[in-house]
Amino acid sequence: MTVPTATPAGTAPSDPRDDRAPGRLATVLASPGTRLVGKRVLLAVPIVVGVSILTFWVLNLIPGNAAQQLLGPEATAEQVRALEQELGLDQPGYVRYLDWLGAAVTGDLGTSLVSRQPVTALLGERLAVTGELVGLAFLVSLGLAVPVALLAAYRPGRMFDRVSMLVSITGLSVANYVLALLLVLLFAVELALFPAIGFVPLSQSVAGNLHSMALPVAAISFPLFCFYTRFLRGDLVDQLQGEDYITTARAKGIGPGQVLLRHAFRNSSFGLITVVGLNLGTLIGGTVIVEQIFALPGIGQLMLQAVNTRDFVVVQACVLVFAVVAVLANLVADLLYAVLDPRIRYGSR
Amino acid sequence: MSELASESSNTAPAQRRPSASEGVRCELASEPVAEREDVLATATAAAPPPRRDPDRTEPLLVVDDLRIRFVGRGRTVHAVNGLSYSLAPGRTLAIIGESGSGKSVAARALMGLLPPTARVSGSARFDGTEMVGLSEREARRHRGADIAMVFQDPARSLNPTMRIGAQIAEAVRAHSDLPKAAAHRRAVELLSLVHLPAPQRRFHEYPHQLSGGMRQRVMIAIALAGEPRLLVADEATTALDVTTQAQIMELLLELQQRLGTAIVLISHDLGLAASYADDVVVMYAGRVVERARTADLFAHVRMPYTGALLGAIPRLEREPHSLLPVVPGQPPDLSALPRGCPFRPRCSSATDRCAEDPPLQEHEPGHWWACWHPLPDARPDAPAKEGV
Amino acid sequence: MAVVDAAVAVEAGPVRGRAGAWWLRNLEIAVPAAVVALVALACFVGPLVLPVPPPIGGSVLESYLPAGSPGHLLGTDPNGNDILSRILHGGRSSLTVAVAVNLLGLAVGGTLGALSGYLGGATDTVIMRVLDVLIAFPSLVLTLAVAQSLGASQTNTVLALAFFSVPAFARISRAATLRLRELPFMAAAQLCGTPGWRVLARHVAPNIAPQLITFAMLGMGIVIVIEGALSFLGLGIPPPAPSWGNMISQGQQSLSATPALVVWPCLALFVTVLAFNLLGETLRARWSGR
Repeated sequence: MTVPTATPAGTAPSDPRDDRAPGRLATVLASPGTRLVGKRVLLAVPIVVGVSILTFWVLNLIPGNAAQQLLGPEATAEQVRALEQELGLDQPGYVRYLDWLGAAVTGDLGTSLVSRQPVTALLGERLAVTGELVGLAFLVSLGLAVPVALLAAYRPGRMFDRVSMLVSITGLSVANYVLALLLVLLFAVELALFPAIGFVPLSQSVAGNLHSMALPVAAISFPLFCFYTRFLRGDLVDQLQGEDYITTARAKGIGPGQVLLRHAFRNSSFGLITVVGLNLGTLIGGTVIVEQIFALPGIGQLMLQAVNTRDFVVVQACVLVFAVVAVLANLVADLLYAVLDPRIRYGSR
Repeated sequence: MSELASESSNTAPAQRRPSASEGVRCELASEPVAEREDVLATATAAAPPPRRDPDRTEPLLVVDDLRIRFVGRGRTVHAVNGLSYSLAPGRTLAIIGESGSGKSVAARALMGLLPPTARVSGSARFDGTEMVGLSEREARRHRGADIAMVFQDPARSLNPTMRIGAQIAEAVRAHSDLPKAAAHRRAVELLSLVHLPAPQRRFHEYPHQLSGGMRQRVMIAIALAGEPRLLVADEATTALDVTTQAQIMELLLELQQRLGTAIVLISHDLGLAASYADDVVVMYAGRVVERARTADLFAHVRMPYTGALLGAIPRLEREPHSLLPVVPGQPPDLSALPRGCPFRPRCSSATDRCAEDPPLQEHEPGHWWACWHPLPDARPDAPAKEGV
Repeated sequence: MAVVDAAVAVEAGPVRGRAGAWWLRNLEIAVPAAVVALVALACFVGPLVLPVPPPIGGSVLESYLPAGSPGHLLGTDPNGNDILSRILHGGRSSLTVAVAVNLLGLAVGGTLGALSGYLGGATDTVIMRVLDVLIAFPSLVLTLAVAQSLGASQTNTVLALAFFSVPAFARISRAATLRLRELPFMAAAQLCGTPGWRVLARHVAPNIAPQLITFAMLGMGIVIVIEGALSFLGLGIPPPAPSWGNMISQGQQSLSATPALVVWPCLALFVTVLAFNLLGETLRARWSGR
């Protein structure tokens, strides 16, 4: 029942950490946590490959005659054939996929059919805009959700809890485009506090940038805030009411605030990390429509423009970026979980 | 009933407190050599337990007509219906009953650890202070400092994401303004007090790195952190295997000797009560049905329910392959209790009179029971006594 | 506020006896269910019995009529079409798409997930890897790509949204089946020699149904929102056929002048999604025993 320890049983170690000192690197590499990290990373690889196949398939094989669509109905058969040859569309699907994948791995996502610019160049700056939007929305929603959920769970069933739960289920039912338009109507049209559309680059003016980002960030972060609040509050209350270690903590005579923060929240935060990681996919999906409404030059807007001009090379690149970011976010959440949760870090017996 | 019958088979009531040598053997079997000397010392010290006369000391805890019901969606569950007992400092009281008899609920009520749906009435005075009706803030002052609790499942009762040292230090600091470093030292002391090997190192480990018995030792260290005068062990050994069970019980008794802590032992295991308790309270459907000194109770069981419980324990003397007598029927529905004696529907000696509530009375000195038709006394010289 | 009142009523204490009707004791379910029924009734039966003009083919002479105009309760849009009529017909297509997508998810995804969880092994690995890939995509991005490839139409919208609903249902169905597989009665059924399909139909399906139906309620809300987004972006229900999404998109162009064009379809969308979400959340809380 007692595991034999490395130190001789007769002499209790004087330094509490002395058993961890030797061969620290070796210990870390052999730890269950490290193995889990390796496993997760390996699992992410086939998903990314699958994502690229599906992306390619959806955009290349379904539409039938891409060249015809690109050139419009007036194009002659010769023109269509010429374009097909130029784009390599006369090759079989798997050859085209492997060509595309080979290029994509080296960082070449092709050339836009419309602007004739390399897709990576188009993506560059736009990635920063979408990144800023996602980052801010993420900070705002999580930053507000944690204190609200803690306050709600502190006294479940009380006024604050009821109101916050009502607000959050309402917020979850508002589509982000509906919210975006209502925000524009209220803050841009009626009150004229924020611009309805337009984007000020960060390099031009920090204050101006934040001013132009305020409404888009609000439109994306409010539903997220509601989602995180509901999840965290529910998990906290479940723990407070159902977990034995909460009873132990209360039986020690420590205050309810400490029970909530040191015990319930510590454990809920692991679930929250996973949910946030899973949710980042939805978050970046939401930017597509919000960027469109607020005319922000991000990847979502680029993708929609490409959809409208039938520039499938660009659409394909955007879809791939979105999906890979979502997979990576999920992976990072998994890894974070593995690093933070002692049960995984030290393995269970 | 199957729960009672099977689990109590581990320790038959005939088996009294294990001798010192048995204790040593158990300890040696599982604990590393480092603690051997300490164990030997404590085991020999524990051999003759010096007992104070319980009647002369002021009781530490007096529970009087404690009633607890849970009010939920259109249903009221009467979990405890008039529980009374008292406990002297440094003594051990066992509260025995099936699951749902209200034993755990009553103990949690002492500490104000019941959910908000619970309605508590009656009285529970701890050292003169009324514990029923305390506000959360007032109750918190007593939790850990006056009354501490060890729970059933040590795997679930420790926070899986906190180092065990931090969990003990937190309990230390809950009732003192010790600085962090001093609380840390005190936590290590507590870990060695409960004979956890290599306490300095264990301090930094997480619960999942310990075995079940070691986790329960950590739970006891947490409970002792506030130097309580009453320790409630709520099925504290039920989730452990038999040898570990004995070790944990020995540890509790040893600590009782050293620190003078009173213990309330909550269990469904009559054997445990017979081996370790000074007094026994048997509960059924939220009320006390029999109460006596341990020796008196097991020598002269009077309440048919207690008798049925004893009868359901498998014994070595029993004829092999003979059917085990079990208590017939189902435990009562606490939201729809019958009038009169709650055991009536399952009792073989029940009559019409049992529709009337049998009062809990001291029929013999120190021996209380609530029954109109008690079992005949096993003593040959005892006068047959029926009713009041 | 009815929700809060209902919750208070439930927690306030026992409802005496059986005097209260079922729906009074279960306002959390009854109220959103009634709203859903009302919306469905209005959208599918309303245009048949109410005196509303057809949703398309209005006259430009009647454009931008304010609310309360004779014959046009909510006014008209830039093309002179009746807004109320368009909202009712738009709801019809939204609900039709949502029901179709969820039924497709329930049938295909539910079966795949149950098979995957029940059979385990290689089948499970293959099915789950494919679904992992589908789930990795942000839902709107994938449906956008599919919708763009297929072209805008109601059927294609359903197909595009199925890319989201099938894997989501499959995941839930698989998780529920795995939990079920641990239970003794499953082993008992298998040891009795019950054929696999029969175990799936008689033991698995009825036990995972509650979770799938609960998710379908939440799924209705999600699908209505994404369908709205597709239509808003011009890749869903093609105009001039009405849908809430394309009405919002059309109204956006004159947001400052005539906000009502945006507000009405937004309100319809919000109320419907809220009702489905409340229903789903309450059912989920009930099933999980809280």
